[in-house]
Amino acid sequence: MKGFIKKIVTCCLISILATGIIGCSSDTADTTQNQGEKESPQTKEKDSSKDSKKDKKVSIDVAVNFGIDDQITIGLEEVAKGFEEETDIEANIISLPDYEPVMKAKMAANELPDMWSTHGWSVLRYSEYLTPLEDQEWAKVLHPAIEPVITDEAGHIYVLPIDVDVAGIAYNKDVVEQAGIDVDSITTWDDFQKACASIKENTDAAPISLGGKDNWTVGNFLDWVGPAVMLTTTQDYDQQLLDGNFNSEGWNEVNALFENMYDAGYFNADALTGTYSDVARMLGTGETAFGLYGNYIISEALSYNPDANLGFMPVPAYYSEDTPFLISGERTTLGIWKDTENKEACLEFLSYIARPEVMSKLATISGVPAGLTTAESDTGILKEDYAKHQEVPSVPYFDRVYLPSGMWDTMCATGSALIADEMTIEEATAKMKEDFDKLYN
Amino acid sequence: MSESRKTNIINEKNMINIMYLPALILFCIFVFYPFVSGIRISFTNWNGFSQNFEYIGWLNYKNLLHDEILQLALKNTLIYGIGSTILQQMLGLFYAVFLDKKFIGSKTTRTVVYLPVLIAAVIMGYMWYFIFQYNSGALNDVLRVLGLESVDWLAKGNQAVWIITLVNTIQYTGVSMVIYLAGLQNIPKMYYEAAQIDGAGPISQFFKITLPLLYPAIVTSVTLNLIGGLKLFDVIKALTNGGPGYSSHSISTLVDHTYFKTQAAGYSSAMGVILFLIIMGVALLTIKIFDKNEVDM
Repeated sequence: MKGFIKKIVTCCLISILATGIIGCSSDTADTTQNQGEKESPQTKEKDSSKDSKKDKKVSIDVAVNFGIDDQITIGLEEVAKGFEEETDIEANIISLPDYEPVMKAKMAANELPDMWSTHGWSVLRYSEYLTPLEDQEWAKVLHPAIEPVITDEAGHIYVLPIDVDVAGIAYNKDVVEQAGIDVDSITTWDDFQKACASIKENTDAAPISLGGKDNWTVGNFLDWVGPAVMLTTTQDYDQQLLDGNFNSEGWNEVNALFENMYDAGYFNADALTGTYSDVARMLGTGETAFGLYGNYIISEALSYNPDANLGFMPVPAYYSEDTPFLISGERTTLGIWKDTENKEACLEFLSYIARPEVMSKLATISGVPAGLTTAESDTGILKEDYAKHQEVPSVPYFDRVYLPSGMWDTMCATGSALIADEMTIEEATAKMKEDFDKLYN
Repeated sequence: MSESRKTNIINEKNMINIMYLPALILFCIFVFYPFVSGIRISFTNWNGFSQNFEYIGWLNYKNLLHDEILQLALKNTLIYGIGSTILQQMLGLFYAVFLDKKFIGSKTTRTVVYLPVLIAAVIMGYMWYFIFQYNSGALNDVLRVLGLESVDWLAKGNQAVWIITLVNTIQYTGVSMVIYLAGLQNIPKMYYEAAQIDGAGPISQFFKITLPLLYPAIVTSVTLNLIGGLKLFDVIKALTNGGPGYSSHSISTLVDHTYFKTQAAGYSSAMGVILFLIIMGVALLTIKIFDKNEVDM
């Protein structure tokens, strides 16, 4: 009897294991088939007609790096709904948490969504997996500030830019006014430092704020100063960088400027340990004057104080021979996986978004200029500043063009170590060079 | 032996094999395969996402030898591991001896000491961040009430490392306490009675009876805490994110940082292999040291 029970148990266990293994390997079609066998002929007939209808309907997955409750995600979902009504193609907007690591894992497995947002990395990181799109109609009317940013050396374009991240230095107009500063007169970093000194002297606000626990805020500061020093008419640092030579002398200048400003007390007291949200709050409430971030910080600052009087100004030049500039880059962009089975549907979705009325709607949500010249957007309280700085030349995000992919974090960490006195200027530069050489090759 | 008895024994053996098969399969899929895969990646220049990479031999391991940031992370890892372990043993043993006696509130105190163990390390890290943060941090609020200047507690690397060690200690002291309590309850009371008759005082009893007879518990507690400390990750991420700069990184956080942020998956995997060897070496060494000194009851 005992042996019999054991045999039964053994058989059960083997069955469970086998079922588990088979279950794991079986595809959806098998599952549907098995389920069908258990159902009545009527249900089966009904379901098969439903299934065949469902089979005809194309569904595409669109992964985005925005939060599920972000206005832009909601806007994209509304656009997808309109697209589905018109074409019967279903576009699922998927907000992926922890976007970058997840996308890297998906790339490693070569299992990607049909479409995804490239958050600044369409050329350097994602191009290997994206479909070239330069032959699309809308590619002829790209916003001039975004065109060089999303075009690779061979002239390929891999994304539709829904909007353009054009940014300068965000500032609180009330604080600046209180200190008696005319931002239009700030053209060099020397002028900017004098303005910081004036704010420190005449107001209770910190001239500039960083949230060093989120060390990307430190990296962003360097990403704003970097082009001023390295993309100059007086040196060929930019060409050297593009040729794979990291010029330590130039980067020492960047580090020295940062360290001098920190030592002069122009940053918030918790610059090393605060967070980005702290900075946004401080900008909104007038506890800080300047923030070297994209204009996204303005909408975040307004969430803390809707009445805040905010604007943005061009980034000053480092050398007197150069001129101030704005920074431009990708913000909301969508590309298509080169191996997707639904390429036509994806192209159709991009064409739908490229329509002026659709793109205007999405760009207005972000409060930044639209990615195509055929569309306009309402940039809210920044409208005046955008108009004022229309003629200011723009440069791409420094790290995305002049540094190899993967350098961003080195820049954040070395900058943070520099002001924490964990590294000297030379050590921080040497680490930058070391990682540059490693990643470039 | 009869034929049916033989069949039964064979069946029993099969049963045992079948019983551990699911665990073995899971272990192979989720532990062994990633481990072997990690070793393979450590010999490549893979960036963590591209389909293209090359095998570069021992280059990653050679580069590790000259990596100053890794050396700093290694030093921090040892501080997190050994520092937390020493503090946890002292506090855990103190609580265990104190709470081994029955008094009103002893059970509540045990619960309070053990409670942090139940909190996820990352949440614990954030709770402490809100205590140590510069603006509106609880500790600085106290300082301001006392008329003192606010301090940016986590702004200096060395200080941040010790704060992380302390937070880890506070969280896991409860584990040591429970292990020592169990150990204390296994020591026969007759030893203490005999010692009392011989005129031994409480301190003498502690060092001559309690401590030697707690050896098995000490081995378990030290090994567990040491491994936990050497693998420390969540608290660091929540409190300092490895900063300022690289100053509070452990090898675990540096592996994560190097793999996902600086996109050097091959190099990062080599670090992971080194971390594995360190943890294994330290754990084996600990067990060997304690095995030598074990006391028979």
